[in-house]
Amino acid sequence: MLGWTKGLAYTLKQLTREKLTYDYPNKPIPLPDRFRGIQKFYPEKCIVCNQCANICPTDCINLTGKKHPDPTKKGKIIDTYDINFELCILCDLCTEVCPTEAIIMTNNFELAEYSRDDLFKNLEWLDENDENIRKVNKA
Amino acid sequence: MIRTEEMLLNVGPQHPSTHGVFRLVLKIDGEIIVEAKPVIGYLHRGTEKLAENLQYTQIIPYTDRMDYVSAMTNNYVIVHAVETMMGLQVPERAEYLRILAMELNRVASHLLWWGTFILDFGATSPLLYAFRDREMILNLLNELSGARLTFNYMRVGGVKWDAPEGWLEKVAEFVPYLRGQLKGYHQLVSGNEIFLNRTKGIGTYTKEDAINYSLSGPNLRSTGVKWDLRKDEPYSIYDRFDFDVVTREEGDALARYYVRMGEIEESLKIIEQAVEQFPKDGEIMAKVPKIIKAPKGEAFVRIEGSRGEIGCYISSDGKKEPYRLKFRRPSFYNLQILPKLLEGESISNLIAILGAVDIVLGEVDG
Ligand code: SF4
Ligand code: SF4
Repeated sequence: MLGWTKGLAYTLKQLTREKLTYDYPNKPIPLPDRFRGIQKFYPEKCIVCNQCANICPTDCINLTGKKHPDPTKKGKIIDTYDINFELCILCDLCTEVCPTEAIIMTNNFELAEYSRDDLFKNLEWLDENDENIRKVNKA
Repeated sequence: MIRTEEMLLNVGPQHPSTHGVFRLVLKIDGEIIVEAKPVIGYLHRGTEKLAENLQYTQIIPYTDRMDYVSAMTNNYVIVHAVETMMGLQVPERAEYLRILAMELNRVASHLLWWGTFILDFGATSPLLYAFRDREMILNLLNELSGARLTFNYMRVGGVKWDAPEGWLEKVAEFVPYLRGQLKGYHQLVSGNEIFLNRTKGIGTYTKEDAINYSLSGPNLRSTGVKWDLRKDEPYSIYDRFDFDVVTREEGDALARYYVRMGEIEESLKIIEQAVEQFPKDGEIMAKVPKIIKAPKGEAFVRIEGSRGEIGCYISSDGKKEPYRLKFRRPSFYNLQILPKLLEGESISNLIAILGAVDIVLGEVDG
């Protein structure tokens, strides 16, 4: 048999196989729990230790803390927390070092915006990003 | 008297068959290439310079972006270099996970090459079949590491995640599946007359040329040189697996095709054995200090990546950042032979020759 007819036979055989494509975005793409998407931030858990900002390889986390409003308590609480998603490479290192799991990856990956400024996400936005949160954060 | 004139033709930097941002300035006489000059650097991000201000753990995600279709091997070379300097013993379970991840990634990388190489000749269906099967590997790696391309999976002293529930079984099932698919691939492409016409005897070079131009990987093995670091300088636990080094004698584009197809099968053998030998329990991380500091001195390690030998040189002055870091990026070295191969060829052979060399521009530009 000619080589190319063999190839044609193979292609024809594939016609009956099940479809593999997803009807995205009408149907969500199934993603594993470990998938690294946009972070969720828990302001109440954060102890302002700065470890996430220090480990970030692209320097895209900016945070400030303030004194605890209750004078009987020591330590700081978070005041502002921003991630610049123009720079963030979703590498997972911030969530890896956070001692209180105040910052955690989610399965949400849709980051496209019309303006670059909209890629700058603040504390409130990251707090509200509370769907599809990773269940197991540390191995 | 007919007078012919040489013409300058610019290919790229944005051209589908260059597989990235790569530019070729051709001097042509009619259809024939007189001189070819590659112009590179469009994707240069200065990884090596950036690394001088980064801790070792922070460098790992940057290595993902060098050879982005085969990021696991890049992850490995940097952690391997740091581990060598620190004299770390990596737990066995972590080594097996690394091998599985690297070999799966090598198969995915070769599949991508297979699809796009044949796409360059105008055949679209092989690309879709290759991507269908590559997608399954990406899903497996996604489950393991949490990303589809930029894995950031390995850490100095081990790996980030253990295998999830049922993952090893899925890997074990995937091996016979892909073996079956490979038969179909050969049926689809390897005997096709058009394909053979366009690759047989095209872009040929000799053993001596390959060595003189410091080619490595399938580009070297297609000339009959049996050199594979997994066999010749076993790193990690490669000495525990039984596999062959695939070579061909011809040194043409078709030989490189067969070497890569053979390598997929050899990688599948390694994956199969690694799943069988996989330790029941054990740690996935060695005991390492929180802030990793490589001791004063220097080290060079090299491993067999999907495209050839990846090397990593670290010079450290004992701090948490390297003093100087250098990667030997195989695509960059393999590209060197291109001007010589293109000389005297016709333009229609250009993409076949470039495609068979298999470059990734993220790696060429560093
Ligand atoms: S995921 Fe990586 S790049 Fe993004 S904020 Fe966290 S550490 Fe920085
Ligand atoms: S590492 Fe965690 S606790 Fe520390 S500042 Fe960052 S988010 Fe807050």
